[in-house]
Amino acid sequence: MSLLTALDRKHTIAPEGYSRWLIPPAALAVHLCIGQVYATSVYKNSFVKHFDASQTSIGIIFSIAIVMLGLSAAVGGTWVEANGPRKAMFVSACFWSSGFLVGALGIGTKQLWLVYLGYGVIGGIGLGIGYISPVSTLIKWFPDRPGMATGLAIMGFGGGALIASPLSQQLMSWYDPDYNPSVASSVPSGSAVAMLFVTLGIIYFVVMMYGVFNIKVPPEDWRPEGFDPATLKSKTLVTTNNVSAGNAIKTPQFYFLWLVLFCNVTAGIGILEQSSPMIQDFFRSDGGVSTVTVAAAGGFVGILSLANMAGRFVWSSTSDYIGRKPMYMIYLGVGILAYLGLATIGHNATWVFVLLAMLIISFYGGGFATVPAYLRDLFGGFQVGAIHGRLLTAWSAAGVAGPLIINGFLDAKGTPGKLTVDAYRPALYTMIAILAVGFIANLLIRPVASRFWERAADEVPAGTTPTERETV
Amino acid sequence: MTTQVRLVFGWALVGIPLLYGLWETIAKAKNLF
Repeated sequence: MSLLTALDRKHTIAPEGYSRWLIPPAALAVHLCIGQVYATSVYKNSFVKHFDASQTSIGIIFSIAIVMLGLSAAVGGTWVEANGPRKAMFVSACFWSSGFLVGALGIGTKQLWLVYLGYGVIGGIGLGIGYISPVSTLIKWFPDRPGMATGLAIMGFGGGALIASPLSQQLMSWYDPDYNPSVASSVPSGSAVAMLFVTLGIIYFVVMMYGVFNIKVPPEDWRPEGFDPATLKSKTLVTTNNVSAGNAIKTPQFYFLWLVLFCNVTAGIGILEQSSPMIQDFFRSDGGVSTVTVAAAGGFVGILSLANMAGRFVWSSTSDYIGRKPMYMIYLGVGILAYLGLATIGHNATWVFVLLAMLIISFYGGGFATVPAYLRDLFGGFQVGAIHGRLLTAWSAAGVAGPLIINGFLDAKGTPGKLTVDAYRPALYTMIAILAVGFIANLLIRPVASRFWERAADEVPAGTTPTERETV
Repeated sequence: MTTQVRLVFGWALVGIPLLYGLWETIAKAKNLF
């Protein structure tokens, strides 16, 4: 059996008695690796110096990767569903790791376009395919707790940066003895970052291979002990029917959910992107001095990472009990109140600001983690991975819109380092309006009309091709 | 390899790095207070 054949879906069907608890670590192995994309700030200053480029030119690397994530998830979603999680994870590992190696070549030869191509384009494809690859498999293994299962994996995407950030600093200090991570002004050399890229490319490939060889799909008629699919029918919005990816994008539910995700992510990115200067600006006196030090602001960034990660698991698991629609009403409705609190009383005490920001960021993470289960509820498990891939274009759009909104307002209000809480209020009120739009979109979500359901095999006219069947 | 061994190995492979990341982040977060 060739390697590629071994990766096929038909060779990944689990034998009888296979523990479903082996699936989350396999999914986490992939998500923890690709989550590194949120740790790019650790070498950003080194890139600026090494390439003699502006912050914007370097920031584009991250933007390309996120845009490619959305595009490759949208375009490759159907391929992932057809070929199974093992082949998808393998392809993701190849793209993600070679992205690092091509990026290292770009750093070594001082050609920034090669870093755009390597880390941004090639790595970005690995990100998109890797992000969606375990989702539908987890939902099939955990039909009784899909929110918890996908929350676990997507929590890994948040946790990836938590690991990559200190690990990268440690590795760069080995490769460049002059670099001291504890000194804010210390910048690692370009060759140290190139070596870091090679090291991460190799480590991530090995860890992702654990996921590749341990992911398995359940047999067709498998269900967890004691689980009765009939119990799902009693829940509002939860269907036991299936909708194909081709049909899902013809339904209003898909676009309402796209809007919900877009609004939730845009609002969260507004704080995430600006977190370190934001806390300093909120507690800046008229004299221009902030009571929050640079080190304390760094601590705030760390706390937000924890809230982001915890929100993915805790809120997504909670949605298994209270339902997906009510959960998003909390994300968006309570999110509005939290933003309002930030704008009005957030500057009164550091602990109030930190608590409100943590709540908002936990909802941001929760929104990402709960959406696959929401899609399963609405469209069934048939092509949920492919539908999820298409929905992730909302993330790419929000990744552009969120920073544009907050930076647009702040640029108009003054220069960085001199801003106060007043400069943030228009941006915060705009985020409240965006969340309100998302809240309404969520309220409008109703069960999918029966004309979009897949017909059972015995209902499909003889000679119908699979593509035709999708549109029957 | 038994299922138990595979479970311990799999969860350790992802859990130990995650604990390392959490530890480092909490240490950094302490600067806020």
